Amino acid sequence: MKRIVLLLFTLWLVLPTHAQEERVDHKVSIREVEILGQRPMKEIGVQRTRFDSVVMKENIALSMADVLAFNSSIFVKSYGRASQSTVAFRGTSASHTQVLWNGMKINSPMLGMTDFSMIPSYFIDDASLLHGTSSVAETGGGLGGAVRLESRPANANGFGLQYIQGIGSFSTYDQFLRLTYGDAHWQLSTRVVYSLSENDFEYRNRDKTVNVYDELMNIVDQYYPIERNQNGAFHDFHLLQEAYYNTGRGDRLGLNVWYLASNREMPWITSNYADQTDFDHRMREQTLRSVLSWDRYRGATKWMAKAGYIHTWMAYDQRQDLRPSESTTTTPTTDWADGTMVRSRNRVHTLYGKLGSEWTPSNRWFISADVALHQHMAESRDKTIMTVQVDPTTGKQRAVVGYDESRMELSAATTARWRPIEHFGMGITLREELYGDRWSPLIPALFLDGILSKRGNIGAKASLSRNFRFPTLNDLYFKPGGNPNLKHESGWNYDLGMSFSTGKSGLFTLNGSATWFESWVDDWIIWIPRVQGYYTPMNIKQVHAYGMELDASLEWQPARDLKARLHGTYSWTPSINEGEPFTAGDRSMGKQLPYVPEHSATCTAHLTWRSWSLLYKWCYYSERYTLTSNASTLTGHLPAYYMSDVTLEKGFRLGWADLNLKGSIRNLFDEEYISVLARPMPGINYEFFISITPKWGKKRN
Amino acid sequence: MRHYLHHLLTALLLCTFSSCMEWDYVDRESFEAPAHGLFITNEGNFQYGNATLSFYDPATKQVENEVFIRANGYRLGDIAQSMTLHNGLGWVVVNNSHVLFAIDPTTFREVGRIVNLTSPRYIHFISDEKAYVTQLWDNRIFIINPSTYKITGHITCPEMTMESGSTEQMVQIGDFLYVNCWSYQNRVLKIDTRTDRVVDQLTVGIQPTSIVADRNNKLWVITDGGYEGSPYGHEAPALVKIDAANFCIEQVFTFTKGDRCSEVQISSDGSRLYWINESIWSMSVDATSLPTTPLIEARNTIYYGLTIDPECGELYVADAIDYQQQGIIYRYSSQGELIDSFYAGIIPGAFCWK
Repeated sequence: MKRIVLLLFTLWLVLPTHAQEERVDHKVSIREVEILGQRPMKEIGVQRTRFDSVVMKENIALSMADVLAFNSSIFVKSYGRASQSTVAFRGTSASHTQVLWNGMKINSPMLGMTDFSMIPSYFIDDASLLHGTSSVAETGGGLGGAVRLESRPANANGFGLQYIQGIGSFSTYDQFLRLTYGDAHWQLSTRVVYSLSENDFEYRNRDKTVNVYDELMNIVDQYYPIERNQNGAFHDFHLLQEAYYNTGRGDRLGLNVWYLASNREMPWITSNYADQTDFDHRMREQTLRSVLSWDRYRGATKWMAKAGYIHTWMAYDQRQDLRPSESTTTTPTTDWADGTMVRSRNRVHTLYGKLGSEWTPSNRWFISADVALHQHMAESRDKTIMTVQVDPTTGKQRAVVGYDESRMELSAATTARWRPIEHFGMGITLREELYGDRWSPLIPALFLDGILSKRGNIGAKASLSRNFRFPTLNDLYFKPGGNPNLKHESGWNYDLGMSFSTGKSGLFTLNGSATWFESWVDDWIIWIPRVQGYYTPMNIKQVHAYGMELDASLEWQPARDLKARLHGTYSWTPSINEGEPFTAGDRSMGKQLPYVPEHSATCTAHLTWRSWSLLYKWCYYSERYTLTSNASTLTGHLPAYYMSDVTLEKGFRLGWADLNLKGSIRNLFDEEYISVLARPMPGINYEFFISITPKWGKKRN
Repeated sequence: MRHYLHHLLTALLLCTFSSCMEWDYVDRESFEAPAHGLFITNEGNFQYGNATLSFYDPATKQVENEVFIRANGYRLGDIAQSMTLHNGLGWVVVNNSHVLFAIDPTTFREVGRIVNLTSPRYIHFISDEKAYVTQLWDNRIFIINPSTYKITGHITCPEMTMESGSTEQMVQIGDFLYVNCWSYQNRVLKIDTRTDRVVDQLTVGIQPTSIVADRNNKLWVITDGGYEGSPYGHEAPALVKIDAANFCIEQVFTFTKGDRCSEVQISSDGSRLYWINESIWSMSVDATSLPTTPLIEARNTIYYGLTIDPECGELYVADAIDYQQQGIIYRYSSQGELIDSFYAGIIPGAFCWK
């Protein structure tokens, strides 16, 4: 703590002195005040949170999960560093969040959710959240909302290169490379991310003790060990190839291909007493996502076509080293290969296609229609068991527990927006979905948008929709437990919001919004254990979620070279189980859903002075229940926590290249905290980055 | 400019200084449990490390939950599968924590542990120096020395790989131990406790979940029949009577396909069987057909665990509710009348009488 205070005070005192010495011209400016009446017609009534490039790029080693945790009101449930991280809106679950990458849905068709720890922020140029109803215009199934992730042309002129090297705590090495080329028609970009880490951070394990014995094996002392995160190493490789062609006559073609190869050990829970060297617990993934897009602009009409393909291969292995050790007297002479406890393999092929059109006949009307197709072919091989069947290739007796299923998902929508007067707009979206042979009922969404006062740009928004989510492939077919008789989840939600935007040109801008929302989800699917020892999904719950989202930001430019930006969010999200009692003893009715925080908040403060930049990030989650009954027990308690990160950055413009040095401190106050029971999180940790952008063939300044 | 920076950084510092989290620390409590009582192992949720141990005093109808963490100051672990008393110690098998805890059953304090087990399920004591520990995802039954807290060897089970390995409950008659093999298995193994070797095996039906021995030295096994679509097969569950002396099936009582059968238990005198099939059922070990009416009818309940008080024959039935809250235990008289109910921990699955 003392070191940090010292660091900040040092900066406080030293920065102005350096400022006077700085001679490099770094122009800083603040954004214009948004004029509500000039918002695009497509945005009428839409509750969207957009992340600016500063947020996306402030620490490129972060995954999208980290970006969302510190900059938005949605809940990020993280199982640890480089472990599964899912996001949920407004008291719903992770599978109620639809995720679109360049228009293509990337939720796992087997699990329904998206692991945001596998999405490097370095690959995302434009990210936005569509809250509740607002997601209907983009996709179906987003009972909570949708996350829209886009990559954009680099706007390069000639060749460009950027290389960033990061070195951090726990033997973490992050490498980033971007090659770009651009001319009047072409924009090419290749981005590579390679991250590896031992991820063996230390933490005080309060969930177990180490025993000290005397010679008679009596316990004479016990203590909480300081342990390292066991089995947490990871290697993640990502490659994003983009090519864009602009004919200059209104046609644009784009190709985005994203390949990822990940090899992650699965960190052990805190109450694991096995010898780390005897067990291997690992998740591997290889995924290829590709989207080919064509946009044609002709006057008031835009035509759009997309085609895509996703291939995902995932392997989950749990093995035990059976080679003899001192503790065994009988000698099992086998090796790792024979010690396979779990060998799970999943493979999914997804074909994607989308056609759409937008028509703006006048400045009062906007009409659009689109139809999207996802064809999934999924194969799950979860366990190999002995049986009487003979594998013809090996001659061995074996059989596999799993499934091999396909499903076509068709989603069509049409939207009309109308702004009869400058201060008022309205819109309607109608969506229809077909999953396999099941049609959804018509999904309507209504939007209203108005300006209450030009002074302060005070506006109001409202939206209302019905929505549905179909069961995932695992929900229906997983062996054992899949339930083909599941109904789709259905829900109603609405939101009412107000916003303002004010400022003084060149000095400050101040924006704020407040949104009230309410939603009801029926037939919520949850997996329930059966007496036979496996889980099965059932339409169990009725959930009523409601609450408020607040968002405010201030940009202030007190001097020519100095800019400050403050951004804060707050969410209050009661998410209440209003279903029938599961059995006579059920105490979960009227209670908050487990793992959904009732209160959450974020704050970022960004100070830019010439080529210096200081960013402080803070987030807060209130206590989360782990029991549906909300009983507070010693073993089921997740205390509230605050988290703080700080980043200091300095840019240098040299003759041959731009250099950028950056230091980040995460978990600034070395908090002991957990996001999920039994999953340790790292204490204070550091990462240092150096970025080099050579000026090949460019004018040197 | 210095003025502006001062204000901004001061605000930042004030904001950050307020960001300390309060962590919960557990103070160790002292317990003095009565001589007769019921331990309940609450499995908790897989990978969440929230297994707990409860203790119920039938005389006072008082339950103490989370006694392990309260007595010791740390968690029991992940999936408390079973508990067995031997030689004045309680042995708690914590499946996904790869550990066996030996506790003082009066104070609930740990007195020792055996670590690095694969996926332990049940423990059975052959002597004060030897016990067997069955496992899931392992084709070995571990041999341990309880007095030194060491793994001393293992018994390799036939026709199992690590991946398909599953050995469960154990009963001993004379020098022979009988083990039901459950997950994707269909057998009962016979082990000679003098040589620590499997000497015979008997196919009894798909997925035998539990095993008991009666007063006539007959073994009773109940199968769950697998599940629809299983590559291992799906059949009607059954209650199987085995003659231990000849190690052969004597009688098969077949249920209806799709029934959810589990937890065969026996009265302390070995004369009556009890099991779960939605409701609680009971019959004499000498019966020749299944009963037609249950002892305790399921009434808006999902029964998960069952035990019989060895002193008075009362029944304790666990309902895990939605498996994500504290389960409820119903206490019934031997005639099936409700005496008491209380909440234990998450997924109360197994019992151990003190």
